Amino acid sequence: MAAPTSTFDLLQRFRQGDSQAFTLLFEKYRRRLGVLIHYKLSEENRRRLEVDDILQETFFAAVRQLDRFEYRTPGSLLSWLSRIADHAIIDAARHESRKKRHGGEMLRFRSPSNPGGPEPADSKTPSRLYRGQEAIGELIDRLNQLPTDYRQVILLARVEGLSTAEMAERLGKTRPQVALLLHRALLRLGGRNVPG
Amino acid sequence: MTPEREQRLAEALGEYVDLQARGEDADPDAFCRQHAELEPDLRAQLTTLLEMDERLEPPPELAGDELPERLSGHKILGVIGAGGMGRVLLAWDEGLARQVAVKILHRRYRDHPLVRARFLQEARAMARLSHPHVVRIYNLGQPEETPHFVMEYVEGVPLTEAARALPMRQKMELFHKVVLAVNFLHQHQVIHRDLKPGNILVGRDLEPKLLDFGLAVQVEESGERLTRFGELMGTPQYFSPEHTRAGSEVDARSDLFCLGIVLYELLTGVLPFRGETFAEQVHNIRDEDPALPRRLQPSLPGELQNICLKALEKNPASRYASALEMARDLERYLAGEPVLAAPTTYPRLMAGRVEQHLRELEGWRSDEILSAAEFDALKKGYDRLSEREDAWILEARRLTFSQVSLYLGAWVLVVGAALVVLFQFAGLTGTAAVLTVSAATAPAAWLGIRDWKRGRLRIAVAFLLAACLLLPTALVVSMAEYGLLAGFTRGDTKLEFFARFFEFERVTNARLWWSILLSVPAYLWLRRFTGSSVFSLVLAVMTALFSLVSLLRMGLLEWLDQDPGKLYFHLMPVALAFFVTSFLLERFKRTADSRYFYPIAVLFTWVSFSGVAAFHEPYTAWLKWAVPGRAVRSSIFS
Repeated sequence: MAAPTSTFDLLQRFRQGDSQAFTLLFEKYRRRLGVLIHYKLSEENRRRLEVDDILQETFFAAVRQLDRFEYRTPGSLLSWLSRIADHAIIDAARHESRKKRHGGEMLRFRSPSNPGGPEPADSKTPSRLYRGQEAIGELIDRLNQLPTDYRQVILLARVEGLSTAEMAERLGKTRPQVALLLHRALLRLGGRNVPG
Repeated sequence: MTPEREQRLAEALGEYVDLQARGEDADPDAFCRQHAELEPDLRAQLTTLLEMDERLEPPPELAGDELPERLSGHKILGVIGAGGMGRVLLAWDEGLARQVAVKILHRRYRDHPLVRARFLQEARAMARLSHPHVVRIYNLGQPEETPHFVMEYVEGVPLTEAARALPMRQKMELFHKVVLAVNFLHQHQVIHRDLKPGNILVGRDLEPKLLDFGLAVQVEESGERLTRFGELMGTPQYFSPEHTRAGSEVDARSDLFCLGIVLYELLTGVLPFRGETFAEQVHNIRDEDPALPRRLQPSLPGELQNICLKALEKNPASRYASALEMARDLERYLAGEPVLAAPTTYPRLMAGRVEQHLRELEGWRSDEILSAAEFDALKKGYDRLSEREDAWILEARRLTFSQVSLYLGAWVLVVGAALVVLFQFAGLTGTAAVLTVSAATAPAAWLGIRDWKRGRLRIAVAFLLAACLLLPTALVVSMAEYGLLAGFTRGDTKLEFFARFFEFERVTNARLWWSILLSVPAYLWLRRFTGSSVFSLVLAVMTALFSLVSLLRMGLLEWLDQDPGKLYFHLMPVALAFFVTSFLLERFKRTADSRYFYPIAVLFTWVSFSGVAAFHEPYTAWLKWAVPGRAVRSSIFS
C-alpha cells in the first residue's frame, strides 16, 4: 500500500490533529470491523443490535483511548479495535436488555402497533449490515454457507489479518494444520472441490 | 490432487498470508512465479484471497488522496475539509483569478441515486439564496463530472474560536447575526441540519458565514440509514434530540437546538452534552438537562442563560417557535430589555432538590421533630416552588376563590359584550352575522390551543375560556339566522324567555338548549386536552345553565307566574342529578371535576327546598293539615 495512507501514517496524522485522517482510517477499517462485529454478535443480539451502532460506539471509544494504543504490526490496530468492539457489544447488549426490562423506550420494528417502524430483518441475512453494499452482503452470504471451522479460519486470516502462527495459537493447532485448513476453506469459498 | 501436493499448496498459501500479515510487499504474480510448480492451483487460491480483500478494502479514491485535476474548469489545489457527504476542495478560478471552494460528493454516495439527487437539489436551493452571512454558490458541476458544486471560498475560523477573545456583548452581536442568517434559510425552506461552530466561519471583518447547509441529508425513505459517519467517529455533539431518533421529523426547530448548543459553548466554553460513550452522549442529549451556564460562568447575565436554555428544550414545541423569535430575544438582551424566554429547566431542577428535602422532612415528621401542621406548611411552600410556571392552572386544589371569580367575571363580560354587540347591530343579518360571530370564536379557540401547546398557559386559558362562551353564542346565532330548531315552547311565545327582550327575540328556548348541548363535547375535549380543572368549572356551570334552560322548555315561565312552587319542586331532581354526578365522579377518582358539581348541587337543593317550603301548594296544604296549631310560617311569604 502507498506510504501516505498506511495505517501508521494515518494514525500519526490524526495524533497531530488532522481530523480528516481519522475519516480515512475509519473508512479503511469500517468494512473489516463490520464483518467482524457481525460474527461476534450472538443470534439473539444480531436481532436486537445494529452493526452500525456497535461500529460507531467502537470508533467513539477508540478515539478516546487512542493514546493507549501502540502500533506494532499492520494488524495490531484491527485486533485492538476488535477488543474494543467486544466491550462495545457487551455494553450495548446490557443496555438493550435493561431497556427491555424497563419497558423499552421504543418499538424498533414495524408491527401493526408501530406501522412507521423499520422492517424487521431476518437475522441470518446480512441485509441489516450495510444494505446496499452488495459486495459485503454477498461475502457474508458466502461465508455463511461454509462450515464453522472454515469460516473461522478465513475470518482470522482475512478480516483480522493474522499470521499463520497467530492463528495456530488462537485455534490451538499447529501451523501446518492451520495452513491446510485455510487452504481447504479457500477452496470451498472459491467454489472448487475439496479433496478427500 | 495428492495429499503431498495439497500440503505444499497449503504451506505456500500460509507463507503468502504471513507475508501480508507482516505488512511486507506481497505481489501475487511474483509469488506465483516463485512457486511455478504449484500453478495453476496456487493462483486460483490467491485470486480468491485477493477478491475477498477487494471487498473489504475501501474504494481506492477514499483510501488515497487522489483528486481530480480540474472540476468545472477550475484547477484543484487541495483538500480543505471533509464532511459527512463529501469533501471540500480548494480550487483556483483562472477566469476570475480568485480562490473558490468546491464541494464534491463522497464516492460511496455517487451511485446512490437518492443521495445524489438530494445533493444536487440542495445545491440548487442554495444557489437561489443570497445573504451576506450565507455562503454563495457559484455553479453546479456538469452531469458527466463527479457530482460537485463551486462556492465562495470563505477564509475564517470557526465561530467558537473567533469569539473566544471577544467581550460578551460582541460575542452576542456576532451570534445574533448567525441566528438571523439561520432564520433567512428557514424562510426559504432550507433547514441547515448540521449547525456547528465548524460550519459557521468568522472572517477577519468579524462577519459570520454559514456553510454546508442542508447537506447532512439523512435518507430514511429508502429504509437505509445514511449515518453521518463523516462527522468523525460520529461524536454527536451537535445533534438535537430529534437527530438521535431514527425516523423522527427534523425541522427548523431542530436547527434551533443546535444554535442553543453553539450558544452554550459561546457562553461557557464547554459543550452542554458530553458522554463517555456514544450511547451516553445520545442519552444526555435526549434526557439530561445541561449544567446551568451560570454555574460554570457566574458572571453570565441571567437573560442569556434563559435564551440558551429555551433553545435547548428537549421538546421542540417548548423551544422558540422560530429563529426570528430567538433573534428578537437576543435583541432585547442587547437593548437591555428583559427577554421573553422562560425555560422549563428551572422548575425541573428545583423539583429534584425539593424532593430530597421533602423526604427528609417526612422523616422528621415521623420522628415527631415536626408537627403535622408544620410539615404541611413547609410542603405547601415547596410545592409552590417546584411547580412549572403556570402549573397552578392544572392544579384543581389551587383554583382559589379569587381565580374562580376572576374567570367567571371575565367570562360573563366577554359573552355579554359579544351578545350585546351582535344583537344590537341591526345591520347584521343572515350569513354576515354568522360570519362575524364565527370570526370571533375561531381565532380565540385557535390562539388558545396554540398558546397552550407553546406552554403559555395563562394566556391560553384566557383565550380558551372566551372560546368556551363564544361557542354556544355562535351556535345560537347560526341557528337563529338560518331558522333552525325554531320550535317555541309548547307553541307559546309567552313561554319564551328571550321573547321579553326585543333584540333577542329569535333566541328561542329550544335554540339555547341545543347550543349548550352541542357545546358540551367541546368542553369535555378541552378538559382532556389541557388537563386543567378550569374547564371542569366551565362544564359544571354550563350544565347548571343547561338544566335551567331545560326547565324553561318545560314551562318555567308559566309556573313562575301561576305556581312558583312547581318550579321549586322541579329543581329538586336537578339538584339530585348534580349530587349523583359529583358522587360518581368522586367514585371514579375524578375529585378535581367533582368539586365544582357539589356546590351547584348544594345551591340547587337549598333553593328548591326553601322554595317548595314557601310556595308549593300540596306541601303547604299538608303542613296545615299536619300541624294545624301553628299558623304556617310560609303563609307569611305568600
